[in-house]
Amino acid sequence: MNLMDIVMAFLGSYCPAILFNIERKNLIWAGLCGALGWVVYSSLYKYTNNTVLSVMLASITISLYGELMARQLKTPATVFYIPSIFPLVPGISAYDTVLFISQNKLDEAMYKAVDTIATAGAIAFGIMLVSTIFHYINKKQNSN
Amino acid sequence: MNVKETVEIAMTAGEILLCSGSEIYRVEDTITRICSAYDIECEAFVMPTGIFISGKSISNPIDTISLIKRIKKRTIDLHCIELINTFSRGISLNPLTYSEAIKQLNAIKKPPYFKLMGRLIAAAITAFAYCILFKGNIADGITAAGISALIYYLKDVINKAGFTQFFEYLASGLIAGGISLIAARLFPVLHMNEIIIGAIMILVPGVTITNGIRDALHGDLVASIARLGEALFIVTAVGAGVGFTLAIGMNWM
Repeated sequence: MNLMDIVMAFLGSYCPAILFNIERKNLIWAGLCGALGWVVYSSLYKYTNNTVLSVMLASITISLYGELMARQLKTPATVFYIPSIFPLVPGISAYDTVLFISQNKLDEAMYKAVDTIATAGAIAFGIMLVSTIFHYINKKQNSN
Repeated sequence: MNVKETVEIAMTAGEILLCSGSEIYRVEDTITRICSAYDIECEAFVMPTGIFISGKSISNPIDTISLIKRIKKRTIDLHCIELINTFSRGISLNPLTYSEAIKQLNAIKKPPYFKLMGRLIAAAITAFAYCILFKGNIADGITAAGISALIYYLKDVINKAGFTQFFEYLASGLIAGGISLIAARLFPVLHMNEIIIGAIMILVPGVTITNGIRDALHGDLVASIARLGEALFIVTAVGAGVGFTLAIGMNWM
């Protein structure tokens, strides 16, 4: 892993956050969250060579950070994790699927389609896991 | 405050949330929270393309109303989601009057945007960053940045001219594919695939696909299918646009 990639992942969350019209004071935190997710993803991927597992752990990290920041800054956690999962989401795999279909390479298209669904599922599952736990904790605290 | 006014406030808040690309459960939660702040029992059914609310006064069960709202435009606007979240939390602590609440909601409808120049630069840097992450070189990154800013600008123009969403993305794909192809032919240092990937990063619906699956995990099955369908059409439009230019380029150049 090199520093350049981390900087690029930071920019790759910071700039989409501008396009998603995030509030200015949250911009830097969303960017850092994206860089953190990328560090977790790429270092795990290097050792395990397993995209789905690495993406899921990265998304768990991102949503933990998002939920904690959301409590700190009193904003919904979505504000942090929509920009920060941007480097991980399978947009390009989905595009590759369509491109391979248009070039009649159906085997490769199938492979990419499965990759798209698996990656998106892993991210969604990671976020859901953390947000459900936090929801439960919040409920417990409110009832006490 | 009567049932009609309350449900109207809840509807406006829900509409803003849904148009800003919020999750379905958050829209339903917000509507229910606003209604219960005014002692009104309500049932909300939210889909990405519409909101249905029916409300009933607890003190006077004859007083009921149902409202339907069709939602046609969906973007991602995190600032709006945050403002509505603050608004609904505030209202459940301390209920506002009707005119006050409508005034606040109308202010939220026009959130501060970044200037067009700032957004163009952001689109350009996004393309640059992903081009480098996907192992392109610096020259690829700069080309992709230029194309991405151009696409972002043209998408705005096409959108204002009133074409359908499908055409908007198809045209963007055609432009991205066409310019990358020409650039890669003129300057052999450039790598066409990396440029295209960087340039279309702002178009592909990765976040929409992920949100679609999240909705399904929450149990909002109809919403999930609708979102995944939307993502499928967008990615087909982009892919078809790029694929078309590539097919022409491979055969005639």
